[in-house]
Amino acid sequence: MTIPFLSRSRTPAEDQPRRTVRLFISKDAAAVAVGAETVAAAIVRSAAATALPVEVVRTGSRGMLWLEPLVEVEIDGVRYGFGPIEPEALAGLLDAGILQADLKRLLAHPASLGPVDKIEYLAAQTRLTFARCGITDPLSLDNYRALGGCKGLEKALSLTPAGIVDEVAKSGLRGRGGAGFPTGIKWKSAHDVAGEQKYIVCNADEGDSGTFADRMLMEGDPFLLIEGMTIAGLAVGASKGFIYVRSEYPHAILALKAAVAVARKAGLLGANVAASGRAFDLEVRVGAGAYVCGEETALLESLEGKRGIVRAKPPLPAHKGLFGKPTVINNVLSFAAAPFILGEGAKAYADYGLGRSRGTMPIQLAGNIKRGGLFETAFGMTLGELVDDIGGDTASGRPVKAVQVGGPLGAYFPRALFDTPFDYEAFAARDGLIGHGGVVVFDDAADMARQAKFAFEFCAIESCGKCTPCRIGATRGAETIEKIMAGENDEANLALVADLCNTMKFGSLCALGGFTPYPVVSALTHFPDDFRRPAPRLQAAE
Amino acid sequence: MAPSEAETTARAVARQHGNRPDALIEILHGVQAVLGWVPESAVPALADALNLSRAEVHGVVTFSHDFRRQPAGRHVLKMCRAEACQAMGCEALVERAESRLGVSCGGTSADGRVTLESVYCLGLCASGPSGMMDGRVVGRLTAPRLDALLREAGA
Amino acid sequence: MTTLVKEPDFGTPASKMEKTVTLTIDGTKVAVPEGTSIMRAAMEMGTAIPKLCATDSIEAFGSCRLCLVEIQGRAGTPASCTTPVAEGLVVHTQTPRLAQIRRGVMELYISDHPLDCLTCAANGDCELQDMAGAVGLRDVRYGYEGANHVFAKQNGKANAEWMPKDESNPYFTYDPSKCIVCNRCVRACEEVQGTFALTISGRGFDSRVSPGMSESFLDSECVSCGACVQACPTATLTEKAVIEIGQPEHSVVTTCAYCGVGCSFKAEMRGEEVVRMVPYKDGKANRGHSCVKGRFAWGYATHTERILKPMLRDKITDPWRETTWEEAIGRVATEFKRIQYQYGKDAVGGITSSRCTNEETFLVQKLIRAGFGVNNVDTCARVCHSPTGYGLKTAFGTSAGTQDFDSIEHTDVVMIIGANPTDGHPVFASRMKKRLRQGAKLIVLDPRRIDMVRSPHIQADHHLPLTPGTNVAVLTAWRTSSPPRASSTRRSCASVATGRTSRSGPRSCRDRSTRPRSPPSIPASIQPRCAAPLASMQPAATPPSTTA
Repeated sequence: MTIPFLSRSRTPAEDQPRRTVRLFISKDAAAVAVGAETVAAAIVRSAAATALPVEVVRTGSRGMLWLEPLVEVEIDGVRYGFGPIEPEALAGLLDAGILQADLKRLLAHPASLGPVDKIEYLAAQTRLTFARCGITDPLSLDNYRALGGCKGLEKALSLTPAGIVDEVAKSGLRGRGGAGFPTGIKWKSAHDVAGEQKYIVCNADEGDSGTFADRMLMEGDPFLLIEGMTIAGLAVGASKGFIYVRSEYPHAILALKAAVAVARKAGLLGANVAASGRAFDLEVRVGAGAYVCGEETALLESLEGKRGIVRAKPPLPAHKGLFGKPTVINNVLSFAAAPFILGEGAKAYADYGLGRSRGTMPIQLAGNIKRGGLFETAFGMTLGELVDDIGGDTASGRPVKAVQVGGPLGAYFPRALFDTPFDYEAFAARDGLIGHGGVVVFDDAADMARQAKFAFEFCAIESCGKCTPCRIGATRGAETIEKIMAGENDEANLALVADLCNTMKFGSLCALGGFTPYPVVSALTHFPDDFRRPAPRLQAAE
Repeated sequence: MAPSEAETTARAVARQHGNRPDALIEILHGVQAVLGWVPESAVPALADALNLSRAEVHGVVTFSHDFRRQPAGRHVLKMCRAEACQAMGCEALVERAESRLGVSCGGTSADGRVTLESVYCLGLCASGPSGMMDGRVVGRLTAPRLDALLREAGA
Repeated sequence: MTTLVKEPDFGTPASKMEKTVTLTIDGTKVAVPEGTSIMRAAMEMGTAIPKLCATDSIEAFGSCRLCLVEIQGRAGTPASCTTPVAEGLVVHTQTPRLAQIRRGVMELYISDHPLDCLTCAANGDCELQDMAGAVGLRDVRYGYEGANHVFAKQNGKANAEWMPKDESNPYFTYDPSKCIVCNRCVRACEEVQGTFALTISGRGFDSRVSPGMSESFLDSECVSCGACVQACPTATLTEKAVIEIGQPEHSVVTTCAYCGVGCSFKAEMRGEEVVRMVPYKDGKANRGHSCVKGRFAWGYATHTERILKPMLRDKITDPWRETTWEEAIGRVATEFKRIQYQYGKDAVGGITSSRCTNEETFLVQKLIRAGFGVNNVDTCARVCHSPTGYGLKTAFGTSAGTQDFDSIEHTDVVMIIGANPTDGHPVFASRMKKRLRQGAKLIVLDPRRIDMVRSPHIQADHHLPLTPGTNVAVLTAWRTSSPPRASSTRRSCASVATGRTSRSGPRSCRDRSTRPRSPPSIPASIQPRCAAPLASMQPAATPPSTTA
């Protein structure tokens, strides 16, 4: 589907004799990290030097990260892509006539990808949440509205709060942060509690390795998140919202703050949202380097200016959350799904997916993978399809050894489990989890014992320190794996690790300690050979 | 005795945030943005401004890995060591950086030029190994690229 | 037979809700108020679920993970301290699964703890010991070569996690090597005392209790109330006296003599020696809390300079001469009789102290009336409380306090006039601060900027720093402005108090005549507490004279 890029209307004079060539380069952090700023600046300089009418539009990323920096040029309403164009390769592209939009010459360029929308990777996706990402100027409300933005909000304003909650419940949306809790039930709980002051909190502390969907969305389509949170505010009766972004995402923080300012100026946030008489405003807050603050109650503690330790539940945040008030706390993608659900209807969303996993999941293919990036699709594709067909196997060319799905607290799956469909229950049935949808691929250079040790080490680094199984268990776990790797008493120590994993799984206060056993046990179960070290020739006397 | 620069900065930043105790983390970020670190003398000043105890502010400062209790080197190089970057060989690069700089992660080179830090995920998981040099994201790191970064920092 | 009084620890505070809930714990039905934790419900029926981070003077925390239970129909193993009862719940507190997890948790605790039980100050009074025994811990399979907070040196190098003992406070010691990071001390300092002097520095395995900014206890904001020492389940925070003497073996319940709160204490003794004073939970005034005075500063009782024998001297310039009780009492009696004979009966009188117990005051007035045969007896409270005594008696029929300390828990507005509770009545100040943190409003009428005006988490909604000597004018202005609106009241009070009225000068502040007005309606909430029937109550017709 080609989407004409809308901007300010052109005067007849501008149509002759030379039309402005519009180029699109992402300013997403993943593109910037590989040279997009340099490329964009060089293009602008070149255009100025040759006095060519060129407009460079900075967008979010299309999500085909192996192609970044991706340079797109719009010719006759179609956007043609070229990538990856790292700074060293720009000269070649300039020579091929990118500034003149010389289509014939350009299509012959080695980095030519053809019409971007037809690239297999993109075409195979079902982009409900990421519909606009990489296409629009993220801070242009006109762009946003032209491509369906604010439709959900308008619908929500016409419903009662209970009606909005009902729609979200019918859609089958489950929390995309990782817990997979039915969002409708969460919103209903907060809606049903009496209280004048309620809050909407967005968990944008996307700390899982292998995940970047939240980051991409906040940078590429921040208005979608704002609209989704506003809808939530209307649904439960909250007048104030907070977006808690991790400090490791500086680009996302800037993009969000700018978007909130634009939205406020346009009357979409503030005391009178879209002239409805209802109030809702947002504040962007930054984390301080703690993975555990991605846990909802630790996040609330952090928002209250305290140490980010986990709170016991009950009470649930929906009843007693931020500052003791009823609070809906959801992941970025959960809120971002709301505008579609309201705008197109719950059934439209629920029609995607299978079983109890409805709607689409923005899957992130990462690690040692040839075609890494964002792949939004309905639930149901198998892990193998994602890694082999979509992802193109490893970047190194060596065979895939293990895939960790769901972040650092997810299980390592071997090739033997590649037929597992991407679905909450299917992964759980095989002692895994899909979490926030991150898929990290490892080739055969990976040492799974080392990975198991890292699982404990990461838990130790990020532990808030409140509960004993995690505070002490993570450290002891890493020490014990190290002993196993050194061949010390491995039978006894393996049994000890198993017992420790049981203690952590059932004893921990939150998922940080509670799920650390997943990667450890899966490594032990599926890759036992990596743990069998030959005993050292000289052993210390027992 | 005249208040130190740290105390004055702390109070000014706190005021900008309406002296709201819940904004403590924002305020600490603000202080670090101005001073480059959070000096100890800032803590009692913040406690007073926000009507918290010294202990509470201290607890937050020491809990969060972002807040520096001493000044950093002229340049700060953060290298991601989370799973996705591990899968792309970040550990070898970290070893290389440590050896070039003569420090382990968390330390500052003897000449005060570069502070090397571990970071766990920058959200650049398909562009690894990744890092951040003075707040600037860098991806697809290789040994030559790392060396270039270190040279840039004068190391 | 007196023994050590050990009050049961129910784990979590009592619920104040009224509805009763019935549930089954380990096959026994038990009925408790709604809002009670499963842990407390179990304890009330005599089942002590293993616990380390829970204690009934502070809110549940859920960190030790020992008190896990299994609930029929619910997945997982929830913590009984943070899980409230529900109608019809079926709970099991001891199953093989729970036993395994508990042993796993204790194994982790002990893997980072000194093994010097036999020479430890808490030997015999240590909850960690108790729990290791309760869960059947037999083995710490992790060994002791791993990371820990126990050894100052490990493998020839200094152990970065180890911290030396903090002995700065004269009354108690902080030994970080024994800390199990249960957070009870931090929570006690926050919830019970309200000083917030403690925090946990760092996070994860590095977590250690930190007074102030990782300062010594003496340098920090700590006020030595002892709540943390009381809350600590191990020897981490221990009274120096216990370290020096050993465990007490019997208790005597007594009342602190230092101030008007009258905290109840257990004097824990070994033979005749007081080992320590521990607040008594059943004390109606203090409910298990204390301040530095009664808790620790009782050393005067055995101070070397304390006079233990009666002494006499004939002239003030003579040195003191030790004597017998008979001679001393005989001399005093004879001399007082002589003075009465020489100067008249009324030449003798007596004053008792508001720090005496009621019983002691009774004895003093008995001596004056029956012994000296005069009515010249009073209490020092007369000096401070003559006007308030008059006002209270006139308004409510008695000059005693109108309500108990517990009533602070239902208060919406607190007004402090000319008092500094933080220093003068610390335990009550803590209880007030707790209520204020819950949202009650505070008005302070005092020229001094007392601690209650602004201290961590406490801020007076109004501080009226009246000019000394204008109390009456301020209060009269307050009383006569109706209905009281904060701004106008403040204006009128402020202008009167500073004497800066446009028309009349200071003279108006001394004008004491007021027309009698109809009695103000007595708020329903205090009616039942009033001693005298309503009909006898009248407003003060004229402000009482300030000359006693």
